[in-house]
Amino acid sequence: MAFLDVENVVKDFGGLVANNDISFQIEKNEIVGLIGPNGAGKTTLFNCIVGYYKPDKGKIRFKGKDITGFKPFQTSREGIGRTFQIMKVTTGLTVHENVMVGAFLRTEKRAEADKEASEIIEFLGLSHIKDYHINELPIAIQRKVGLARALATKPELLMLDEVASGLNHKETEEMVELLKRLNVEKHITIFLIEHIMEMVMTVSGRVIVLDSGIKIAEGPPEDIVKNPEVIKAYLGERYAKGK
Amino acid sequence: MEKLKDAFDFSDFSRSERIGFIIFTIFLFIFPWLGVSSFAKTVMIQFMLFSLFGMGWNTIGGYGGQVELGKAQYVGIGAYTVALMMVWWKVPFWISMPIGVLIALGYSFIIGYPLFRLKGHYFAIATICTSLVLKDIFDNWALVGAAKGIELPIHDHPDFLYMQFKSDTYYYYFIMALFYIAIFYMNWFRKSKLGYQLRMIKDDEDAAESLGIDIRWCKIKAYSIASAFVAVGGGFMAVYNLYIDPASVMELSLSIKIALMAMLGGAASMWGPIIGAAFLVPLDRFLGSWLGGHKGLTGIDYMIYAMLIMIVSAYQPRGIWGIIEDLRKRGK
Ligand SMILES: Nc1ncnc2c1ncn2[C@@H]1O[C@H](COP(=O)(O)OP(=O)(O)OP(=O)(O)O)[C@@H](O)[C@H]1O
Ligand SMILES: [Mg+2]
Repeated sequence: MAFLDVENVVKDFGGLVANNDISFQIEKNEIVGLIGPNGAGKTTLFNCIVGYYKPDKGKIRFKGKDITGFKPFQTSREGIGRTFQIMKVTTGLTVHENVMVGAFLRTEKRAEADKEASEIIEFLGLSHIKDYHINELPIAIQRKVGLARALATKPELLMLDEVASGLNHKETEEMVELLKRLNVEKHITIFLIEHIMEMVMTVSGRVIVLDSGIKIAEGPPEDIVKNPEVIKAYLGERYAKGK
Repeated sequence: MEKLKDAFDFSDFSRSERIGFIIFTIFLFIFPWLGVSSFAKTVMIQFMLFSLFGMGWNTIGGYGGQVELGKAQYVGIGAYTVALMMVWWKVPFWISMPIGVLIALGYSFIIGYPLFRLKGHYFAIATICTSLVLKDIFDNWALVGAAKGIELPIHDHPDFLYMQFKSDTYYYYFIMALFYIAIFYMNWFRKSKLGYQLRMIKDDEDAAESLGIDIRWCKIKAYSIASAFVAVGGGFMAVYNLYIDPASVMELSLSIKIALMAMLGGAASMWGPIIGAAFLVPLDRFLGSWLGGHKGLTGIDYMIYAMLIMIVSAYQPRGIWGIIEDLRKRGK
């Protein structure tokens, strides 16, 4: 039994099939990358898994449990944490309070949530901005806050939507280190969407490639970079952009 | 235990706020003995009553960020329960008031369930509609006195069981007790799990859901708390005024005033509803008596309220308290 089992998922936006019959599995403790050109359907696939969208067809099982059609708050309670590609720029809660809200999922006590939040913020190196509001932070840091509050829900599976975009080379390397630590020390299975190729390739044990809603390849990173289908998908995109 | 500690712990407020709060409390305590007129006492009672309403509204409207414009129906439920149970069965206030609160809670769950399928403007409009419906029913329901309303039997001696007193001073201290219970409750609430979750919902509903928050259920809970709060105030209104009718306890204008006071003072802040009531209750009184002498001007008070709300939302959405906080930040 796979940890996460996605089976023949279809998501059709009235003619535009964003996910076309997608199947794959993720085992416990893996780090799996999800790549593909813009508009390939990566975020849509995430949203189908965590429940922002209900798949038109197909099944999603998490730890053996059928979670198809679960609401996002339910999948979160089951142990799936996620970050957003685009964070809403909010002015209400501070960074620390954001993370506390995440921690409140597993405790009723404010003191515990508070302590938990401080630890995670420390772990992610965000202590210096803990009293800021999200609107006061650069986008790359905002995403890190998203990661922090998702972590606070104590997820077993963490799904990251372009958490490293906007980071410079050094920051990207730090993010890779961080994800590896989460994976090894906290036993969190990671499923990440990423545009930065070098990052996906170094961090993931396995990569899944989407193009126009279809899964075109799956395998270890070194095979994926040589895969002609993948090269075509990416080159095609580059040519299109050149026009 | 921790809850109790949170309720009485004001240590995260600034020093000036805490000192202000203590001075304000002493002032409220001695106010009736300062040789003030009975009119002044009435205004103070109204002020504390509306602060209570505003604090209740603040749970769902302020912390939860839902523009809720139907609180009057729960004032009405509280008031009518106390009045009717007393007229029909001579039930003491101390029994009928909690029953009124329970009915308000039950009703708010039933109404809240479909209501919170809606968002934004649709939600705001729907809250108005539910309130209008209940008032219409009471306006035409002969059993509960219809539009004529009901008078409570007046006891010729002070009666604690039925909360009937000759002197306003008793009512003054009673509403003051309720007012402080509300303050301590809100002081707990803003630090509670639900308080944090509501603020997250207000910030970003998608993110809130991704953190395991059942948005609709949280909103319903907050809505019910708010409803219970105002039902207590409604019960008080029944024994204080000794006469209620749909126009006085269920009117849309009452709903709007409740929301307006909290927003003007500063939604989602501890002191906002109190500050708002401190401004608007005297203004309301003044305009009320002034307009009484100028027949052609009825409605002007609402124009003034509408203008106030526009100015607040355009200039400082966090209300008067927001302005004070900004000034303080600049001062540092
Ligand atoms: N709610 C929606 N309604 C209609 N179409 C949508 C919706 N969400 C996404 N799409 C479309 O589905 C396709 C896949 O979008 P998706 O956001 O999943 O791509 P992506 O792989 O995450 O792209 P990117 O790398 O740019 O983030 C796109 O063509 C997009 O326009
Ligand atoms: Mg995307």
